[in-house]
Amino acid sequence: MNNESVIKSRFEENGKVFETGAPVTGAVSIENAVAVGFGDGSIRFFWPDNDPLEVQAHSGAILSIASSNDGVITGGQDGRFLKISTNAEVEEIYNFGTRWVDNVAAYESMVLCSSGKNVYIWSDENDKPKILEHQSTIGGIAIDQNGRRIAVSCYGGVTLWRLEKNKWKSSKFAWKGSHGKVGFSPDGKYLVTTMQENELHAWRIRDKASFAMSGYPSKVKSFTWAGDNPYLVTAGAKEAICWPFDGKEGPKGRKPLCIASGGQQNATFVESLPGEKAVFAGFRNGMVLLSELSEHPNDVLIQNPTGSEVSNISISPDRSHILVGDSKGQILWSPLWEQ
Amino acid sequence: MENRSSQVPVTVLTGFLGAGKTTLLNRILTEQHGRRYAVIVNEFGEQGIDNDLVVDADEEVFEMNNGCICCTVRGDLIRILGGLMKRADQLDAIIVETTGLADPAPVAQTFFVDQDVADRTKLDAIVTVADAVHLSTQLGEHHEAEEQIAFADVVLLNKIDLVDQSQITGVKDRIRKINPYTKIIETNRCAAPLEEILGLNAFSLDRVLEVEPDFLDSDHDHEHDDDVTSFSFVSDTPLDLEKFEKWFGNLLQTHGQNILRSKGILDFKNEKDRYVFQGVHMLMDASPMGPWPEKSIRNSRVVFIGRKLETMNLKEGFESCKSD
Repeated sequence: MNNESVIKSRFEENGKVFETGAPVTGAVSIENAVAVGFGDGSIRFFWPDNDPLEVQAHSGAILSIASSNDGVITGGQDGRFLKISTNAEVEEIYNFGTRWVDNVAAYESMVLCSSGKNVYIWSDENDKPKILEHQSTIGGIAIDQNGRRIAVSCYGGVTLWRLEKNKWKSSKFAWKGSHGKVGFSPDGKYLVTTMQENELHAWRIRDKASFAMSGYPSKVKSFTWAGDNPYLVTAGAKEAICWPFDGKEGPKGRKPLCIASGGQQNATFVESLPGEKAVFAGFRNGMVLLSELSEHPNDVLIQNPTGSEVSNISISPDRSHILVGDSKGQILWSPLWEQ
Repeated sequence: MENRSSQVPVTVLTGFLGAGKTTLLNRILTEQHGRRYAVIVNEFGEQGIDNDLVVDADEEVFEMNNGCICCTVRGDLIRILGGLMKRADQLDAIIVETTGLADPAPVAQTFFVDQDVADRTKLDAIVTVADAVHLSTQLGEHHEAEEQIAFADVVLLNKIDLVDQSQITGVKDRIRKINPYTKIIETNRCAAPLEEILGLNAFSLDRVLEVEPDFLDSDHDHEHDDDVTSFSFVSDTPLDLEKFEKWFGNLLQTHGQNILRSKGILDFKNEKDRYVFQGVHMLMDASPMGPWPEKSIRNSRVVFIGRKLETMNLKEGFESCKSD
C-alpha cells in the first residue's frame, strides 16, 4: 500500500524494508541475530550492525525453525532436517524423503523434530535418533525450561514425555479435538495448546485439571507469555487477549485483559517485549501495534497495514531491533528505541 | 475474505483401487504443460506419479467440537493445504488422491469448516473414477463406493472396452439413481478431455444454477435400506421463506447424517432474487443469486442424495413450505 496520506511510524521511518517475495514462515534468535525462515526454503540472518545474510537451505517452504547450541535448526517440505550456522554452513541432520518435517525444537545440544506421527531426538551421545511414537500426526512440540520434559500435541490431546533414568516416560493429557501448537508456561506448571476450533486448551500438569479459553472469532495461530504474572497473550481476536496465569487456578473463572485494540482485523501474531510489561500484536491486514499489559493500555503504532497477514514479530537478542515479517515476504527491520 | 482469484482450486480424485486414478493423475500431470500442480497422495497410493511436488497424506479424519455430530474433517488436508500456501511458488491447482475406501464427506466438509483452507483454496470438484466392470459389485458391497458416486461431480466410467453396451447402460442407470446431478464420461484408460475434469468450479453456488439433473421417474425400489438414492422435487408455487427455513433447518438437524448432499434453487414469495443452496450433511452454503433472468421459469427445485430418504417425509415437508 503506497498511500501517500499514510503517516509513517517512527519504526517505518528509521527502519529498512526488504521485499523478499517469499512468505515469512518463522523466526528465532541466534547469537546476536534474528534468523528468519521463508516459503522458498531460504534463511536470512538479520544483524543490528550488518547487512542481512541469505542462505538457500531447503527446496519448498521451511515449516519450522528453532535455535540450538551452534546454529538454527529447520524442518522443511523437502523432508530435510537441517542445522545452519550464522556463517552459512548447512549440515543435514536427517532426510525424511517425501515426508515433511513439521516441527523442530532444541535444548542445548539436544535437537528434535517431528515428521508424521513420530518425534525424533538426537542427543550428544549417539548418532541414531531416539523415536517417540504417537497415534496421529503431530501438531506441535515444546521442550520445558530444564530440557527434562517434551510436550507433543496431536489429535486427542498432549503427550508429556519425561526423561527418567535415561528413558523417556509418557503421560497423556487428553482433550477431544485436534491440537496444534503447544507450549509450557514459564514456570513449567501448565501446558497450553491451540486447537482446530477457535480456542485454546490448558492443563495444570500437577493434577491434569484442564480448561478451555474460548470466545475467539478465528483460529488462534499464535501465543506467547508476557509480564510477571505471567499472562498468556493470544492472537485470534481483534485485540490481543491476555489470560492471567497467577494464583492457584490461573485464568479459570477470570476475565482476560484485552489490549492492542486499534487493529480493525483479527490478530495473527503476538510477541512480548522482553523485560517490559508490553506486547506486540500483528494483524491480518499487516498492522502492528505495541501495547501495555494493563487495564487502560497505550498503543504505539509500529507498522501501518501492508495488506498482508503478519506472520512473525521478533526482537533481536540485544533488544535493539524489531523484525516484522508478513505472508507476502515483506520484512521491516527497525531500531526499537529512539537513537 | 481473500480475493477469490487467489484461491487455488483443489480437485479430489476418488475411486476404488485399480479403477484408474493413477492413470488419470499422470495424464493430468503430463498433458497440462507449463502448469504447476501439487499432488497429495495417500500412504497406500499406487507408485509412479510423475510430478516434482508430491506430498504424502495420512487421511486422518477429525471430529469437530462444534456440536454438529456428523461434522468430520480431514486433519491432514488442513495441515498440508496450509503448508502449501506458505510456499513462494504459485500453484495452478492441487489434486488430492484418496484411497479407495475413503469417505468423501470429510474432504468436502474441510472446505466448509476451516476458514484458512476456505480463504486460500477452493474445492473445485470431486471426480470419481469407476471401473465399468466392477462398479456394480462394489456398489453392493461397500458403503464407500456408493458415497464416492453420491459425492461425485464427475464420474469417469472407465474400462468400457471390457463390457458390452447393455452393461454400460445398466451401470449408468445405477449411477444416476444414486446421483442424478453427476456427469458421466465413458472412457478407456481415462482418456477424457481434461477440461471436463479440471476447472469445473462445481462447488460454487453459481454452478448449481447451470447443472440440470437427469430427473428419473420416481421409482425408488431398492434392495437394501442403506442404499444411497436421490429424491428431487419441483414446485411452481412460490415458497414461504420462514416455513422453508424452519423445515430445512430441522431436517438437517435431525437427518443430516443420512443426507449426503443437497442442492436447490428456490423461489420465495415476495422475493425478487433467486436463492441457491448446497450442502454436505449438516453443513450448508446458501445465498441469494440475483434476480430471476427474464423469460426463465420461476420455480423451486431441490435435490437430496442420501440414505433412508424415504423415512424423512421429504415430499410432505417440501409441499408444506408452499406459500398460501
